[in-house]
Amino acid sequence: MTGRSHRDAVFSRPQLTRAAGRRIGAILVVTALASSATSGQPSPPLPNRADSLKFAAIGDNGTGDKPQFEVAQQMDKARDTFPFELVIMLGDNMYGGQQPADFVKKFQEPYARLLAAGVTFYASLGNHDRPENVSYKPFNMNGARYYTYARKNVRFFVLDTTQLDAKQVAWLDAALQEAKEDWKICYFHHPLYSNAARHGSSVDIRVILEPIFVKHGVNVVFSGHDHIYERLKPQKGIFYFVSGAAGQLRRGNMRPTDQTAAAFDQDQSFMLVEVLENELHFRAISRAGTTVDAGVIQRQARLGATAAKPANAPALASR
Amino acid sequence: MTEQSTKHGAHVRRLERPASQRRGLKHRLRSSVPRLSRFAVEHLLLLPLGALIALVWVNTAPESYYSFTFAISFLVNDVAMMIFFALMTKEIVEATAPGGVLHTWRRATLPVIASFGVSVVPALIYLWAVEALDEPVLSLGWPVTLTMDLAFVYFIGRLIFRSHPMIPFLLLLGIAADALGFLVLALSNPLREVHPAGGIGIMAGAICIAAGLRWLRVRSFWPYLLGAGSASWFALFWGGWHPALALVPIMPFLPHAARDPGFFVDARPDAKDALSQFEIWWRYPGQVALFFFGLVNAGVPAGALEAGTWGVPIAVIVGKPLGLFIGVGLALLGGFHLPLRVGWRELSVGGLIAAIGFSIGLFFCAELFPPGQLRSETSMGVLLTLVAAPLAIIAAKILGVGRFSKHA
Repeated sequence: MTGRSHRDAVFSRPQLTRAAGRRIGAILVVTALASSATSGQPSPPLPNRADSLKFAAIGDNGTGDKPQFEVAQQMDKARDTFPFELVIMLGDNMYGGQQPADFVKKFQEPYARLLAAGVTFYASLGNHDRPENVSYKPFNMNGARYYTYARKNVRFFVLDTTQLDAKQVAWLDAALQEAKEDWKICYFHHPLYSNAARHGSSVDIRVILEPIFVKHGVNVVFSGHDHIYERLKPQKGIFYFVSGAAGQLRRGNMRPTDQTAAAFDQDQSFMLVEVLENELHFRAISRAGTTVDAGVIQRQARLGATAAKPANAPALASR
Repeated sequence: MTEQSTKHGAHVRRLERPASQRRGLKHRLRSSVPRLSRFAVEHLLLLPLGALIALVWVNTAPESYYSFTFAISFLVNDVAMMIFFALMTKEIVEATAPGGVLHTWRRATLPVIASFGVSVVPALIYLWAVEALDEPVLSLGWPVTLTMDLAFVYFIGRLIFRSHPMIPFLLLLGIAADALGFLVLALSNPLREVHPAGGIGIMAGAICIAAGLRWLRVRSFWPYLLGAGSASWFALFWGGWHPALALVPIMPFLPHAARDPGFFVDARPDAKDALSQFEIWWRYPGQVALFFFGLVNAGVPAGALEAGTWGVPIAVIVGKPLGLFIGVGLALLGGFHLPLRVGWRELSVGGLIAAIGFSIGLFFCAELFPPGQLRSETSMGVLLTLVAAPLAIIAAKILGVGRFSKHA
């Protein structure tokens, strides 16, 4: 990615006031990414190996509006060349009415092609979702607010951070302890780290969950809630993504800090992810189909230590 | 001396005038700092102070705030708050004595009936509001709309009505509404697993201890607190109910004064009865507990707030006056009578005062929601119910009620 040097420059400007720095940073990050995406510079292709796990990530998608359909069309298009088998949903899967007709308009119609192709959706609940949506069959939650499942060498842990009660925390601790897969990926609605202005980090949830993630060597965490895309530099050895703009969008809401590795807040977006033995390749794609961020994460050593890179280094691997 | 025209005499007069003025000032100060102001300082200051510190702290250094408050939340919410609820129960127990607002059941019946309206209507509005505000998961928080902060209700009520019959009416309304709220909380708390058999068994033991102490005419409150109170705390903890209420079933067994000294009237230092002694001993520790309660539970980060925050204030500020009218209307249809000098204008203002949830509301938030966005939103909604206080004062002024009445 050519934008990397621009980003580094943005985050090392001590002479700027913090507020001004954040605003300029937001503009430059977006500009850098947008320029790399639109300048014709080819983005690194995903390995697209036959034996890898491929999935997409969407958050805050369930509006039923045109942008949601357009993002879904980009997902369809991406799947023609990158046959992902599952979609992780980061919460706020439904906004407004949640009657049967709404499930058609806000889920079944936008993702009709993916559903017809046998792509499996695994949802987490957001604060706009009805608790009873856990029983909606295509969300594959099987009536549970929090659950775990494994695909190939990856185990996913799906949490309900809208109601993170003690029982759920104890369950997570035990489930992570038992996990034997190479990769431990958690996803849920409220981001532990976010630099969007509207919500930002859910620090109360972070104080509870982060020690457990670190203790059990969670590799990657995906969240939504803030209607932007943000990739954070590893925090205590864990990689965090905020991808909450697959339907909703808060344009210009990013306030990058030195935690931010990359961000995009100019259009709706979703993510494509491919997990190999020791690498996780990711790509964030806008509603227009441009790649706004891409890279690869090396699997960390267990017990929270990063294997390949120092904790503060950007995860992005330039190609 | 005042008639002397000498310079010296004039000097004396100058000395005398300030002295008499000082006496007058003292007298005026004494009369202008009535019991109500002392009540505000002693009962209403530390909780808002704790809440204010929490709001500033969580929005400036959230990580340290949460690390600190999560570490002490059990000690504060499940142990220290026992004192607050014991002191509130003491007021209610004394109110059943001659001269108290609860002395005759007939007197209390109309507010109790009205409390159903005051509870049901805000709850229904809340359930509608969180749907309309697109946060249906907040519907779990409807019991929060049942709550009334008795101390704040008393303070604002006295400020507006002075010694009007609306004061005991409002207090009875608050006691009934809060009791209903706690009943709902006990029966449908989503965060606690209830083990009723064990809990009820141990609680029966605790009550037997308290009854035995009363039968033995034990006059010190300590055996009640350490023996029966400890057993009751364990019973509630084991049973899956809130242990902060441990002293509520024990307090009625403590020997109390023959007559009710009045709601929120401090016990005399020379009072010998166990209930008064309990209040003298625990009055200030209770305020410290409330300070920490505000600190632990009122920390709401601005970023966590969404539209659902408005659910509680909308529900109670619209619903409590409306519910009061409906409840009173039903009671009147049932043949009951309103107290003298209480009409629709007083009820309108009283309904707004009843909207203040604050301490009990925050307690319910912590009980109903785990840490996270829902608790933050609902807690902020509860803090916003304090807006009902100035609204009540404005309404009283417009309607010419209480101290704003032409006949006042």
